Amino acid sequence: MLNWGIIINVLGLLSAINGIFMLFCVPVAYSYDEAGVDSFLYSALICFVLGGFLLLLTKDHKKELKKREGYLIVTLGWLMLAFTGTLPFVISGVIPNFTDAFFETISGYTTTGATILTDIEVLPHSILFWRSITHWIGGMGIIVLTIAILPLLGIGGMQLFAAESPGPSADKMHPRIKETAKRLWAIYVFLTLIETILLIGGGMTVFDAVNHAMSTISTGGFSTKNASVAFYDSEYIHWIITLFMFIAGINFTMTYFALKGNFNKLLKNEEFKFYSLAAIGSGLFVSIIVWLVNGQPLEQSFREGFFMVVAIGTSTGFVTADYTLWSPLVVVIFFWLMFMGASAGSTSGGVKVVRHLIILKNSLLELKKLIHPSAIIPVKLNKKAVPEEIVFNVLSFILIYLLIFIFGAVVMASMGLDFKTAIGASIACIGNIGPGIGNVGPMDNYSEIPMLGKWFLSFLMLLGRLELFTVLILLTPFFWRKN
Amino acid sequence: MKIIIAGAGEVGVHLARLLADQSQDIILVDRDKARLKYAEAHTDVIVVRGDATSVSIMEEVGVKNCDLLIAATDSEATNITIAILGKKLGANKTIARIANTELIHNYEKLDLKSLGIDSLISPEKLASEEIAFLVKQSAFTDAFQFEKGKLNLIGIHLGDTAPIIDKTIREAADLNPHLNFMAVALHRKGETIIPKGDTKILRGDDCYFIAQQEGINRVLNLTGNQSIPFKNVMVLGGSKIGIKTCQSLCKDYNIKLIEQDREKAFELADQLENVLVIHGDARDVELLEEENIEQMGVFIAVTGNSETNIMSCLVAKAHGVRKTIALVENMEYIHLSKTVGIDVFLNKKLIAASSIFQYVRKGNVISSTMLRGINAEIYDYEVKARSRITKKPLRDLKFPKKAVVGGAVRNGETLITMGDFQAQPGDKLIVFCLPESVRKVEAFFK
Repeated sequence: MLNWGIIINVLGLLSAINGIFMLFCVPVAYSYDEAGVDSFLYSALICFVLGGFLLLLTKDHKKELKKREGYLIVTLGWLMLAFTGTLPFVISGVIPNFTDAFFETISGYTTTGATILTDIEVLPHSILFWRSITHWIGGMGIIVLTIAILPLLGIGGMQLFAAESPGPSADKMHPRIKETAKRLWAIYVFLTLIETILLIGGGMTVFDAVNHAMSTISTGGFSTKNASVAFYDSEYIHWIITLFMFIAGINFTMTYFALKGNFNKLLKNEEFKFYSLAAIGSGLFVSIIVWLVNGQPLEQSFREGFFMVVAIGTSTGFVTADYTLWSPLVVVIFFWLMFMGASAGSTSGGVKVVRHLIILKNSLLELKKLIHPSAIIPVKLNKKAVPEEIVFNVLSFILIYLLIFIFGAVVMASMGLDFKTAIGASIACIGNIGPGIGNVGPMDNYSEIPMLGKWFLSFLMLLGRLELFTVLILLTPFFWRKN
Repeated sequence: MKIIIAGAGEVGVHLARLLADQSQDIILVDRDKARLKYAEAHTDVIVVRGDATSVSIMEEVGVKNCDLLIAATDSEATNITIAILGKKLGANKTIARIANTELIHNYEKLDLKSLGIDSLISPEKLASEEIAFLVKQSAFTDAFQFEKGKLNLIGIHLGDTAPIIDKTIREAADLNPHLNFMAVALHRKGETIIPKGDTKILRGDDCYFIAQQEGINRVLNLTGNQSIPFKNVMVLGGSKIGIKTCQSLCKDYNIKLIEQDREKAFELADQLENVLVIHGDARDVELLEEENIEQMGVFIAVTGNSETNIMSCLVAKAHGVRKTIALVENMEYIHLSKTVGIDVFLNKKLIAASSIFQYVRKGNVISSTMLRGINAEIYDYEVKARSRITKKPLRDLKFPKKAVVGGAVRNGETLITMGDFQAQPGDKLIVFCLPESVRKVEAFFK
């Protein structure tokens, strides 16, 4: 029998925490003298009432968390966030349509950054700030936050942590999960602060700097400007954001070691090496093509080339240039980058570099095994053998990922989208990227997608953020069987 | 010298026998009655039944005034405990036999000396070093280096086309105008002969030479061997010895390691760089063929099962592998290797015993070495002033017939010692002798 008590209890808690985050927007609304004050207060109140009610209802729940409850908590917890997160949009009347509000919210939490809003510059500051906050919560993950600040998820916490954190295996940087979660959030806050300060130094307003920093470090992609980062005519700002998008795509455990002065560990990490190499390689390739073929000035080609490569590769989705207008060769590279994702244990979406590494190495070794059929040749990562069950897990992950991508494209096409738009929307949502190709490219948005399509894409975003298995297992019959 | 040996296993008993032959006073302690009975019947030692980690037993056997305590039981932890306790109870020096070689590498860091462990011996490490050396010197069945390789003792099997077959030692010496090597022993049909000038070298003999570095190739030529370069080595069995052997060889050779247990094989593949780990049964000839056994330069069988090791080496021989090395548990088999046609039989316990033996025999003997294939010993003496050896040239000294001075080191220079050689104080001499002559030889160096 499932222990629904603890599940509902945690859901109530998450609702309350979401309410606290909404209160952060109240001072913003107040200082800009906007009408939004009330809507955020009401939204927070609803969250508190709902949360309090659920907590009271399950006051005497059994403190026992097994695998099934764990998966349910993570998936339902994210849905709870997404539903309560729509309240400010709906109550303030900025997005009156519930489907649109839900799409916008889950796109925020999953750090996708796909929007249905056509003109964001007319929106109240508080609503813009709320969009950035949804990114910021979702980037590091609400479960990780809950583990960090609250004692309740002590037992079974590691499983929840692993279910939420991206990558084939979650590593601890401290023996205690709570301390690990605290350190992750500390690095997260630290990076956000540094970027904010650097952006203010580059001439951004404080409000824009905070929003863009939150959006960068969470690899989200919501901006406060219609033209995204392209709005800023500052080379400095472009390069700073490029740099921080890149940092946000590094495994936070590695960043932790680097911040502690142990650069050796970072530089010896194979995933980091491959990630850097891919970023620099694709950046150079794209820049040179843009420079030679499209005839852009040299500096601009490199700045825009690297910015867009990192923005798409790390699944952030900021925009300084419309890559769909560049040469077709470049568009194909961007399409490939959408499948890459950055490092495991970062805030980025996508397949993740480490999975590509494992599958590449494994494929090469399969060839070697043809000659030595009895040989045991493990896939090695950082000079250590990767356990076979992880290799199989990665193989099935990538297969399921591709199947869902194709399925997504088929569903979108069946709703009347053209070929490019269908595959673009599918990969941009499952990869938590935001801008795709076709009519959902970097200069367009998702407002034209039919209602059903928006719900479907929302589902894809959640699938992508929780890395398929956590959500998909709930759809299997053996999950619900009693034994 | 009073020596206490804890543990009457094969290492302990063999060591007791070696040391007792040198007229040392040996006390052997073990809990197992049967083993003690065996040791008492075969060696000249006192046996005491009891637990060597017990303080009262150790006091009873007089650990207080013993010169050396050797902890040689099968258990590493027990040996370390025995050594520490023994030292505290007054033993002069302690040696512990261990399996985990990390302790040897970190001896200084862990400051084991202050704990009371003077020396550590790991049979597995010694065996793997021996294997690595034999692989690198693939033409030899036996090899030992003096003065960092300036002078070498090499054992070598005569090829059918060897030019020195049917020649006497004196005639063979004529083929050696540079005087950079000499024959010091022959092994023929299970018997060791110290050759004299008129001894004839026959087909099928194993010859032992002392050679300077430059003379080694000449030795290879005269014995019909060539050092054929090879890159491929196959190791059977991922035992500790197997792992260590792979680690010391993997830089210079392409190694295939065959391991029977799948999980173990995976761990090995994780642990070992540049080694191809194959999962399979060592007795599966088809598997060996599939993995190109015929292209191997050396085949090393170090599984835990002696029979598997011997049989698979025979399979390797049949497929034309030039050199085969088998690990065998039973010491009695050691001398049979030539008979069954395997180049080298290794016994890690014998190696460990020899190594401890060397440690014990320090004094005017710089080192002594046991040879695997034959029943002879090599001593490395430092010549003292006024000892008998310095009085006359070698041919005029009545040096024992069953011993021979093979080489000398004088002021860092190496010499091959012929009859006209006269030792000077400060020289180091390498003496090759049969066990029964050891004491007679020692008299010359007093």
